[in-house]
Amino acid sequence: MIDQLGNGLLLGIIISVASVALSLLYGVTRIVNFAHGEIIALGAIVTLFFSGPIDSRVLFLERFSPLGMSFVTSAIIGIIFCGVFGGLLELLLFRPLRKAEVGNIAVLVVTIGLSIFIRHLYLLFATGRVQNFPLDLERRQTYLFFEMTPRNFKVLIAGLIVMIVIGLFLTFTRMGKAMRAVRDSGELASVSGINSDSIILFTWISSSMLAGLAGIFQAIINDVRYNMGFLILLLIFAGTVLGGIGTSFGAMVGGLLIGIFVQVSVALPFMEGHTEAKNAVALAIMILILLFRPQGIFGQKERIS
Amino acid sequence: MNKPILECNGIAAGYVKGLNILQGIDLVVSEGEIISIIGPNGAGKSTLLKAIMGLINVSAGRFFINGVDKTNLSTHKIINEGIGYVPQVENVFPSLTIEENLEIGAWSLAKNRKSSITKVLNDFPLLNERKKEKAGNLSGGQRQILALARALVTSPNLLLLDEPSAGLSPVAINEVFKTINEINEKNVSILLVEQNAKRALKFSNRGYVLDQGRNAYQGEGEELLNDPRVVDLYLGKL
Repeated sequence: MIDQLGNGLLLGIIISVASVALSLLYGVTRIVNFAHGEIIALGAIVTLFFSGPIDSRVLFLERFSPLGMSFVTSAIIGIIFCGVFGGLLELLLFRPLRKAEVGNIAVLVVTIGLSIFIRHLYLLFATGRVQNFPLDLERRQTYLFFEMTPRNFKVLIAGLIVMIVIGLFLTFTRMGKAMRAVRDSGELASVSGINSDSIILFTWISSSMLAGLAGIFQAIINDVRYNMGFLILLLIFAGTVLGGIGTSFGAMVGGLLIGIFVQVSVALPFMEGHTEAKNAVALAIMILILLFRPQGIFGQKERIS
Repeated sequence: MNKPILECNGIAAGYVKGLNILQGIDLVVSEGEIISIIGPNGAGKSTLLKAIMGLINVSAGRFFINGVDKTNLSTHKIINEGIGYVPQVENVFPSLTIEENLEIGAWSLAKNRKSSITKVLNDFPLLNERKKEKAGNLSGGQRQILALARALVTSPNLLLLDEPSAGLSPVAINEVFKTINEINEKNVSILLVEQNAKRALKFSNRGYVLDQGRNAYQGEGEELLNDPRVVDLYLGKL
C-alpha cells in the first residue's frame, strides 16, 4: 500500500501540473482543450529529439538526426517549444475563432479535431514505438516512507516546487491577479484597462509550458510515446473537475488526489488481477465526491445578489 | 455651458453585423453634469454605453472625447481617456478580494497605484474595513459601491453607470444614489442609464429619452419629468 502511495504521488504530481495548466487555460479562455494531451506529449517528444543519442534510431531518425544535447538543456528547449506552440495556437487559431465569436461547443470540437490531427502527426513522424529518455538506470531508495529512484524523487520535489511557484505567482504578482481578473470577467477586465488578448496569449504560453513540463515528468517516470498525453487526459480532466473547475489551487490538489486514488486502488483486495481497471476506481471516487460537493473541493459557491 | 467631455454624433451600433440597435444617437455630456438616459426595454440604453466603451463595434457615427475623435478605440485604452464604466452585471471580480479589485481598477495607471488605491479606500470606509474579503461575498449594494470605487481609482472625468440600482433593495438604492451624488460633487460627470426613470430624471441635470435606438426627446431633468409625451410614454401617471 505504501509503495502504491509513493507511485500515486508521482502520478499525482504529473496530473497535478497538467491539471493546473488545463485549469488556467479554461479559467481565462473558457476553452476545454482536448488537445492538451498532445502539448504534454510534445514536451516529451521535443526533449527526446534533442537529447537522444546520435546513433540511436529514435524519433524522426528517418528524416533528422537527434542532436545529443544534455538532458536538462533538451528539457528546457522542450518546455520553450511547447510555449511557442501554445502561443501560435492562440494567435493563428483560437484568437481568430474568438474574434469571429465562434461558440464554446464549436471551439471544443475544434480542440478534439486538433488533438486527433496532432496525435496522428506524431504517429506519422515520430512512429508508434515506445522510447525512453537517454538516462542512466537507477536503484530505488527509501525516502521517508516511500521507495523510489532518486530521479523520480527529484521529479516529485520539482513538481511540488512548481506548484508552490504557480500558487505564489497567481496570488501575489500583478500578472497573476490580472489572469484571475480575466477569468472572472474578461469584459470587466478590459474596461479596467487590461488588454485581455495579451493576458490570454500569456495564459496559452504558460499553460503550454506547464503541459510540456508535465509531459517531461511523465516520460522520465514512464516512457515517451506518441499518445502519452491522450492516455492521461481523462485523469487530468478528472483532477481539474475534482479540485473545482477553473480554480488552479483546486486543480493542484485534485490532480494529486486522482493520482493517489489511481495507484492506491491497485492495492485494494478486489483489484487483484485487474490492475488495468485502476482508473475506474479513481473516477468512481471522483463521481462520489462530486455528488456531495458539486462545485469540486476548492470550487466556491458564489453569492447571487 | 461647460466644456463637453463626451460627444456622440449619429452613433449606429449593434451586437450583430448588419443589425444595428442604435440607429443614429446624438448625445453630449459636459463637465460636472449628471445626464440620464431613459427609455423602454430594448431602446438601446445599455448598448450605447457599450458602444462608447468599445465593447461593440460602431458601424456609423463618431465619438469625441474632449474634442478628439476616439471612435472604435480599443476597450482597454478608453480608460486612459478619463472614462470609467460600471456595467450592470458582472461589475466586480468575485474571486478577487476587495483590495485586488481596486488593484485591477488601477491597472492602467503608470505610477501612484498604491496611493490611488489608498485614497479610494479612505473614501469608502466600508470597503477599507473589509478589503481582504472576497468581492463575491458582498451584498448587491456593497458590490455596486465596490464597482463604483474600482472605476474611481483612475480619477476619471466621466463615469458611465449602467443601471446602478438594478436588483437592489430600497435602502441600498438610496445608498448608491447618495454615493453617485458625492462622486459628482467632486466634479466627475455622470452618464447614467436607469430603469427607474423618475428617480433618474429628478437626480439629473439633463436627460435623453431613447426609443428604438433613436433620440426621442431630450431636455432638463425636471422638464422631461413634466413633459406629457414622456409621461404618457414612459413614466406613467405622476
